[in-house]
Amino acid sequence: MGRVIVITSGKGGVGKTTTSANIGTALAKAGQKVILIDTDIGLRNLDLLLGLENRIVYTIIDVVEGRCKLKQALVKDKKNPNLCLLAAAQTRDKSALSQEQLKSICDELKEDNDFVIVDCPAGIEQGFQNAIAGATEAIIVTTPEMSAVRDADRIIGLLEAKEEIESYKLLLNRVRPNLVQSNDMMSVDDVVDILSCSLIGIIPEDIGVITSTNKGEPIVNDEQSLAGQAYQNVAKRIMGEEIDFLNLDEPKGVVAKIKKFFAGLFGKEQKA
Amino acid sequence: MKEIFTDLYKKVVGFFQIQEKENEKDVEGNRQVACNRLKLVLMQDRTNLTPFLLERMRGEMIELLSKYVEMDTEALELNFEQEGDSMALMLSIPVLRAKDEEEIQELIKLEEEAKTKVIEEEASQEDEEEIFEASEEESDEDIDEDISEEVCSCGCENADESSNSPDEIEEIQDGSAKNCNEKTKK
Ligand SMILES: Nc1ncnc2c1ncn2[C@@H]1O[C@H](COP(=O)(O)OP(=O)(O)OP(=O)(O)O)[C@@H](O)[C@H]1O
Ligand SMILES: [Mg+2]
Repeated sequence: MGRVIVITSGKGGVGKTTTSANIGTALAKAGQKVILIDTDIGLRNLDLLLGLENRIVYTIIDVVEGRCKLKQALVKDKKNPNLCLLAAAQTRDKSALSQEQLKSICDELKEDNDFVIVDCPAGIEQGFQNAIAGATEAIIVTTPEMSAVRDADRIIGLLEAKEEIESYKLLLNRVRPNLVQSNDMMSVDDVVDILSCSLIGIIPEDIGVITSTNKGEPIVNDEQSLAGQAYQNVAKRIMGEEIDFLNLDEPKGVVAKIKKFFAGLFGKEQKA
Repeated sequence: MKEIFTDLYKKVVGFFQIQEKENEKDVEGNRQVACNRLKLVLMQDRTNLTPFLLERMRGEMIELLSKYVEMDTEALELNFEQEGDSMALMLSIPVLRAKDEEEIQELIKLEEEAKTKVIEEEASQEDEEEIFEASEEESDEDIDEDISEEVCSCGCENADESSNSPDEIEEIQDGSAKNCNEKTKK
């Protein structure tokens, strides 16, 4: 029996779809059977991030309205036969789907897959309620900005109230260490402290995320990139491995840089 | 040779360390401001307590606790934190001085006296009201609406809550009305 994980955020544009595509791809690369469900009806994007936009014949709406079987609507990934996408319909809206329908789709898919990853739309209305309906785990994506953190707190409250959700974790996206160091942005610790929620990943701001979207290929496929490695680590943590968080920090300030320079000179760290 | 380097190193590092500390002082603000504002707004989000009610709660808490200890009320920190499934109210106040027992007893006595006074006053007020109500009953139909807007009998100050929504005000009034009843029952 597989696990159903919803990727949600409250605030829009913080990286839910990017996270869904990358975690899904990373899990599939690790040999897991994965289904990605796009529940953002009317604003579908997951197909674009995976480069599958031209292969979609049926959508989740076709499934619930009986125009095709569930299996027929699953689109196989180009590279990874372990990964399939169930796309959202672009021409309808959130009301075309109900919580019960989504739950039964998730229940059916988890029968013979290891992971069902549900990409949730922004907001806390019906689209959100639909997306979480079949899930037992959640990943809350946020950025270190006040409005995103506030919305994440609201989502945490709603997930707390939902019995079926057994655990939820925080994924902090678009972290810019140099801004944290100059005290212009909240740090990872600040956000974790304020939300009192445990972390599953820290993803740095990375131009590669945008260029990889252009190519229709998730950044986890680029093993050189920092964001790619960070997503890889999230997938490993989901599978139960204990992985340290990447150290994104540049040596802090002039003092640290001088220390680093001297450390290099003497072959070890000096104490001032 | 190594000593010269180490010495030079210490001097250079020392110089920059002083400078950095000064820099940090004025930029620390930016991130800290965000954290503090966020904490406050989340406290309101999580509890449905408006800034007005929070301030009131703070005030009442100070009043209550200062009977027993002398504290730095300016530095009082009030926070709601998520602790697993439940929410915890975290209150942190620097205690300046513990009061001795006599002092505390004195304050408690004063308070009790004040309470009994209020109750006596209320009781006499209620008598008046009963008479008033009796006369009202006769012309009941005309004043139905007035009754629904009834103001608390003890005259507790709920009048100036213009920042609250109508239902909230009603809730407060309901709540305090109950309190008054309880008090008079004692
Ligand atoms: N770590 C990152 N570094 C740089 N850009 C990023 C990063 N994460 C996301 N982005 C960019 O942010 C934008 C929004 O990302 P995405 O579509 O994944 O968000 P979303 O939460 O799914 O949005 P919506 O709420 O509209 O569904 C995209 O243009 C994406 O490329
Ligand atoms: Mg999206």
